[in-house]
Amino acid sequence: MLTSIAQKEFISTLRDRRFVGLSLLVLGLLLAATLVGRRGYAALQQERAAAQHTVNEQFAHQPGRHPHRVAHYGSFAFRPKSGLSFLDVGIDSFTGAAVYLEAHQQNSVNFSPAQQAGSLIRFGELTVAFVLQALVPLLIIFLCFSAFTEERETGTLRLLLSQGATMRQIAWGKIRGYSQAVALVVGPALGLAAALLFAAGSPARGLDLGLRLGLFGLGYAAYFFVVIVGAVVVSARQQHARSALVLLLGCWMLGCVILPKITANLGAHFYPATTKAQLDAEVHAETQRGIDGHNPHDAHVAAITAALLRKYHVASEKELPVSVNGIVMAEGEAYSSRVYQAHFAALNRTYARQNALADWAGWLNPYQAIRPLSMGLVGSDFAHYVHFQQAAEAYRYQLVQRLNGLQTRMGYGDKERRLGAATWQNIAPFAYQAPPVGWALPALLGPALALLAWVIGLSWLGLKLVERTPL
Amino acid sequence: MSYILEAKDLRKQYPDKLALKGLNLQLAPGEVFCLLGQNGAGKSTTINLFLGFIEPTAGAAFINGLEVASNALKIKQYLAYIPENVLLYPHLTGLENLSLLSSLAGFKYRESELRDYLGQAGLPAEAMARRVGTYSKGMRQKVGIASAVAKHAQVLLLDEPTSGLDPKASNEFSELLRQLSGQGTAVFMATHDIFRAKEVGTRVGIMREGELVDVRPTTALNTNELEQLYLTYMQ
Repeated sequence: MLTSIAQKEFISTLRDRRFVGLSLLVLGLLLAATLVGRRGYAALQQERAAAQHTVNEQFAHQPGRHPHRVAHYGSFAFRPKSGLSFLDVGIDSFTGAAVYLEAHQQNSVNFSPAQQAGSLIRFGELTVAFVLQALVPLLIIFLCFSAFTEERETGTLRLLLSQGATMRQIAWGKIRGYSQAVALVVGPALGLAAALLFAAGSPARGLDLGLRLGLFGLGYAAYFFVVIVGAVVVSARQQHARSALVLLLGCWMLGCVILPKITANLGAHFYPATTKAQLDAEVHAETQRGIDGHNPHDAHVAAITAALLRKYHVASEKELPVSVNGIVMAEGEAYSSRVYQAHFAALNRTYARQNALADWAGWLNPYQAIRPLSMGLVGSDFAHYVHFQQAAEAYRYQLVQRLNGLQTRMGYGDKERRLGAATWQNIAPFAYQAPPVGWALPALLGPALALLAWVIGLSWLGLKLVERTPL
Repeated sequence: MSYILEAKDLRKQYPDKLALKGLNLQLAPGEVFCLLGQNGAGKSTTINLFLGFIEPTAGAAFINGLEVASNALKIKQYLAYIPENVLLYPHLTGLENLSLLSSLAGFKYRESELRDYLGQAGLPAEAMARRVGTYSKGMRQKVGIASAVAKHAQVLLLDEPTSGLDPKASNEFSELLRQLSGQGTAVFMATHDIFRAKEVGTRVGIMREGELVDVRPTTALNTNELEQLYLTYMQ
């Protein structure tokens, strides 16, 4: 029985010119967004890889220099785009792409696409995620708003019921039929994404990306199911198609536009983030209380020197087998790094709290459940950004400390000497490995459970309401 | 005697109106009962009660001995319903519509069998694979009749089936009802059409303000007498 009703809905939908027109439009947008996104991804990835190669070469081919000069010369870490980020750019447009790695300072990631783009970026980008999250639900609304109202208005609902079908069976049949129609619109775009992905990826990385893409598709299937069930239930509970359409469009507006804005504003209100200027000022003030490696009159420096003299049982700095400056630099770096880490961690905690509020909103709004899930699965969310930030900082810290170690081993009077050019070629360049999907999943459990709750809750409650709907 | 359709003191009270005032009625297999009455007399309410779409305030409706209210789903296998305007699904063909309706009733037919049923109902072969959106009302009625036959319904509930049909289509429809009646199907038809009621009915009932005020065998009076009787009750 369900199959017959589903088949009827599917065939009727395919023969409805209005739906076919709208579907072709959405499918066209999806395919265009996939292709354009993939192209943009490839170009950006190439640019960043080339830039990373250039700075690595420049670093490795420095002339003979003092190690601390090299530490200040520094390097850059470019964030590679996630292989699936062409489907959902997430926060990538607003977070930076490159971080300058230098001594004494933990810089933030800069040069975001939004910084370099015009003001039009405020209107959003046409991405696969945008089409899937906002436009496909609109298509579903136009497909389903008259699911029951039309049957009621034309009398076919009574005909179906008189044949022995129940309201619940009719509703499930419709949900299944509409799901098939939506799959026909969305499927080709995800198929194209998979083809593009596997045509160019390495097998090892391909497995992880394939798993991410599979879960991405599963997440959106659940999201569309929720929208379809919701639209069918509203159609069943409304007497007229027009009122069902108005109500559904209102829900779309509330879910896709108003609630996310309110949540973002509430997050910023309850958990205000420190501004960059404030952060810089606070970090500067705190590092001033630590060791200043460049100040020979710093009290901490005198204490370190005295300790070294005691340790090596010598009377003067000249007799030490190590460079006091190198050790002071290493201590100073460790201190300033701790200060930076503490402040960045506090800032990240604030952002995480803001994001957590948005995640909780997923229990009220399926759009806000699929959004973090989508970003997290493609690797363009805040957690993946922080992962890169921390990897870049870990590299910066070990690079600077390695250079400080080289300086330390140069002994007294190191400032007057240089290390050979070959030294820098022995230092491994920054190589970032994005985390696997298993790393990302625990953080995505909340939105995934919220979406699952929507699927189960709406199916149960909605279908109960449909069952009790009077003719 | 066992009745295929029966109403015992059937009563329906809406918040603002007493729609049916204790209806008592029995139909035997093969009988064609035509219920005449003005709009709002309670004809459609009676059909809805037999279909189980609404619950009676008092009394009970029975189909094949089963009380409708407590067997709303089971009784559907015995009856077929054809509303005043059978719209069906305009994007599906006649064959597809019949296939859908039959499968909902639990019957899966091959295309040749579906064509046979539609042919029996008088639908031209060339129209069967055409979308129903291009059908006339008479053609849609024929698909409705075909679905009743394909379902092997023992009771046919018809709500103003001939309204809006041209005389030729009405005649064809009457002929189909006679055939079904001859095969043992009981027909309960709510109508305004006195001529058609006299022509196909075995009994005719007149309903006024929710009350069945008169029931006569159609053989007991001619069309003019039936019209006079009807007009007398409607005054």
